[in-house]
Amino acid sequence: MSSFSQFDDDRQARSLTSRQMAWYRFSRNPSALVGSAIVLSVFIAAVFAPYIATSPQSAGAHVDFVNRHAPPSWEFLFGTDNVGRDIFSRVVYGYRISLGLVVGVLGVAVPFGVTLGLAAGYFGGRIEFAIMRFTDIMLAIPPLAMALAITAVLSPNLINAMIAITLLWWTWHTRLIYRIVKAQMAEDYVEAAKVAGASHFHIMFRELLPNCVSAISVKISLDAGFVILFGAALSFLGLGVQPPTPDLGTMVSTGAEYLPERWWEALMPGLAILYAILGFNLLGDGLRDMMDVEV
Amino acid sequence: MSEPILDISGLDISFSTYGQRSQILHDVSMQVGKGERVALIGQSGSGKTVTMRSIIGTLPMPPAAIDRGSIRFEGVELLTLGKRARNRLKGTGISIVLQDPLLSFNPVLSIGRQMDDVVRFADVRLGTSREKSARRHHIFEVLRHVQLADPERICQAYPMMLSGGMRQRVLIAMALLNSPRLLIADEPGTALDVTTQQEILILLNRLVDETGMSLMLITHNLGVVREMADRVYVMERGRIVESGTREEIFSQPKHDYTKNLMRAVPPLYGEGVKNVCNDTDVGPLIQISGLCKDFPLRRGLFNRQYGTNHAVNDVTLTIDSGDVFGIAGESGSGKTTLAKMMLGLFDATRGEITIGKDSLSSIAGTPEFRKLIQIVYQNPGSSLNPKRSVADQLSVPLIFAGFDRAAIPARISQLLELVDLPARYASMYPHELSGGQKQRVAIARALSVDPKIIVLDEPTSALDVLIQNVVIDLLQRLREELNLTFVFISHDLSLMRNFCNRVAIMFRGEICEQGATADVFADPQHPYTRALLGSIPVLTDEEAAQKPTIEASERQAVLSSTTTLN
Repeated sequence: MSSFSQFDDDRQARSLTSRQMAWYRFSRNPSALVGSAIVLSVFIAAVFAPYIATSPQSAGAHVDFVNRHAPPSWEFLFGTDNVGRDIFSRVVYGYRISLGLVVGVLGVAVPFGVTLGLAAGYFGGRIEFAIMRFTDIMLAIPPLAMALAITAVLSPNLINAMIAITLLWWTWHTRLIYRIVKAQMAEDYVEAAKVAGASHFHIMFRELLPNCVSAISVKISLDAGFVILFGAALSFLGLGVQPPTPDLGTMVSTGAEYLPERWWEALMPGLAILYAILGFNLLGDGLRDMMDVEV
Repeated sequence: MSEPILDISGLDISFSTYGQRSQILHDVSMQVGKGERVALIGQSGSGKTVTMRSIIGTLPMPPAAIDRGSIRFEGVELLTLGKRARNRLKGTGISIVLQDPLLSFNPVLSIGRQMDDVVRFADVRLGTSREKSARRHHIFEVLRHVQLADPERICQAYPMMLSGGMRQRVLIAMALLNSPRLLIADEPGTALDVTTQQEILILLNRLVDETGMSLMLITHNLGVVREMADRVYVMERGRIVESGTREEIFSQPKHDYTKNLMRAVPPLYGEGVKNVCNDTDVGPLIQISGLCKDFPLRRGLFNRQYGTNHAVNDVTLTIDSGDVFGIAGESGSGKTTLAKMMLGLFDATRGEITIGKDSLSSIAGTPEFRKLIQIVYQNPGSSLNPKRSVADQLSVPLIFAGFDRAAIPARISQLLELVDLPARYASMYPHELSGGQKQRVAIARALSVDPKIIVLDEPTSALDVLIQNVVIDLLQRLREELNLTFVFISHDLSLMRNFCNRVAIMFRGEICEQGATADVFADPQHPYTRALLGSIPVLTDEEAAQKPTIEASERQAVLSSTTTLN
């Protein structure tokens, strides 16, 4: 014991814990801070929509012909739309739909994609070939065409839009995780686990997965923005959420008819989409710098 | 001492990380005279590299900051020198040979192109210019100077086409292209096999003699220092703790740290050598007969097999219960493949391994087999999962050996105690531990299911020499306490001399010599064994005198050339 304390280099001098170091890096990273503030505000808006919206009834099939096409003012922050509904209130409720879409899509696509990526990277050989070639095929399908096909065959609504996006989204996670696992397989700890008799399940989910978590969290954060965008694009084309549900994409689409004179009707929901996506992207970039991973 | 070419005085350097400032160098002063060879020694993290980088001006600032002191080169203060003037010194005044000969090259450019760039940009900095053919002529000359026989082909080659020794030679040539007055060598040859390393050291010594340049050698290997340096500075935790001529330092070290360093180097010959013996009388535990492992060599679009690599070829050996059996050899000799076959990770192409009474093929993969044999890897940074706590990692073998889950925490404390780590380390993650502590955790993991045999795959080569000794002592204690049998794989023959009771020397997949350690070292039969032993840098003249000698022709027959492309 004495020899140990005498010679072993004293790494304890570094008194910061890893959590403190991560926080230090995060707090020195302006894009991470701004991004997390934006994302937080979007989440707050979505969760507390009934309290934040200035006119909650505008979220539904509300009609107020007196105030239709009113420009932005203190009463209607973002102006009103063609039937007199408050756009600000609809945007706040729209975030609910957007975030619901994000949670629904990523909640299915990420676990599915990650599991396939882990399996392909860990087992190799025929399993790797089958999974990765299938992934390649899925990636070769133009996403919008695929989504159009699915929502056209089923019927255009939120759930079917979600299914369409999910079917496309897992591929990116599979490829990301596959690449990381392939690199990790060269590390001795994987072989050490095999020598210790660990099961395939254990090695994949207990040994390899923790080493993918930082990359996954960065990817999820960056993905969230793109899912919102993709969902908005589908709604814009009339294949997503149907009126009167307040969806940002649908709002841009109906507002676009009144451009350029009544600019606020398309621009305000458009800016709301931009705001949310910017937030998620900044947060993702910040997390990437903080955790030092490549996605 | 002649007028110093490099004069560092009172250098303080600090780094700020995570808002905390820590001083890395404390009042470092050192001089390098004209034509002098000076070594800076110390363990990793002692500040050697920071010192070197402050000389060549590549410290990242921030986070680094030079708080005090001066670095004068030929009387000119470097720290306040303008960027252009300082750039002009690069390669022409001060040049450097970095540690890793592969990482130092750009893999996609030919050697000739990379060397030409060095000459061309030095010309630009100095405001001169030369014809391409003149530069080419100059490059060829320098390549011949470092004994590379066929400069034309070397220039056309890409870095990956050269062997490690040749790359190191090219790297030295590159540093010499613009005839520097001071050459800094950062761990030269350490990444190479010992026989190649020796050739590189001889080359560097010759170059210093011939060109009259000064050499600053940064290393942790005291044997190298003895062969290379006129004067020595010893560095510990950012301070120069001792300096003096080579004779002074080696014959009467004054500072405790230097003494410890000297003591920690395992002697190859002489009185200090420890003879290990196996007192148990149980008989053979592992029997290997006629073992072969072939790997197909594939290439091309369709992965066609074009040849076979006989990684392990007709190996026959017997390891007795209680042995510390050393398997030595250079990189690529097949020693790790052999070890992995003992663990059942590779199937044998031909031949058989018997452990105890059972053939390996019949028991591999069963829990009983795992309780028989376990492994400790070379690099604990890789063999421990960075994202799992010590307790998590120690519990894996226990869980899969069917250990009672409720008893696991107690067993983990017991294991940590066994390897001299406090029980609170159970909740720590690998990055919170030092290299030596990580290797203890790896040893504890191997011990967790009470195996009879532990394969040690270079368990100390990633560690500093002081920590190496602590780990070796620990292993020796565990062997006695737990009646273990060790299979010790290493390229470090001096360590093997003091740790193993029997050794086998592997050479190109075959065992060229085996026997009791003392016998093999006292009277090596195979020329390869003699070449290996003869190349080891030792600490004293007495040891050097006892090293076996080998004829140049014999040496050529067993070692691949580092001077010509084949």
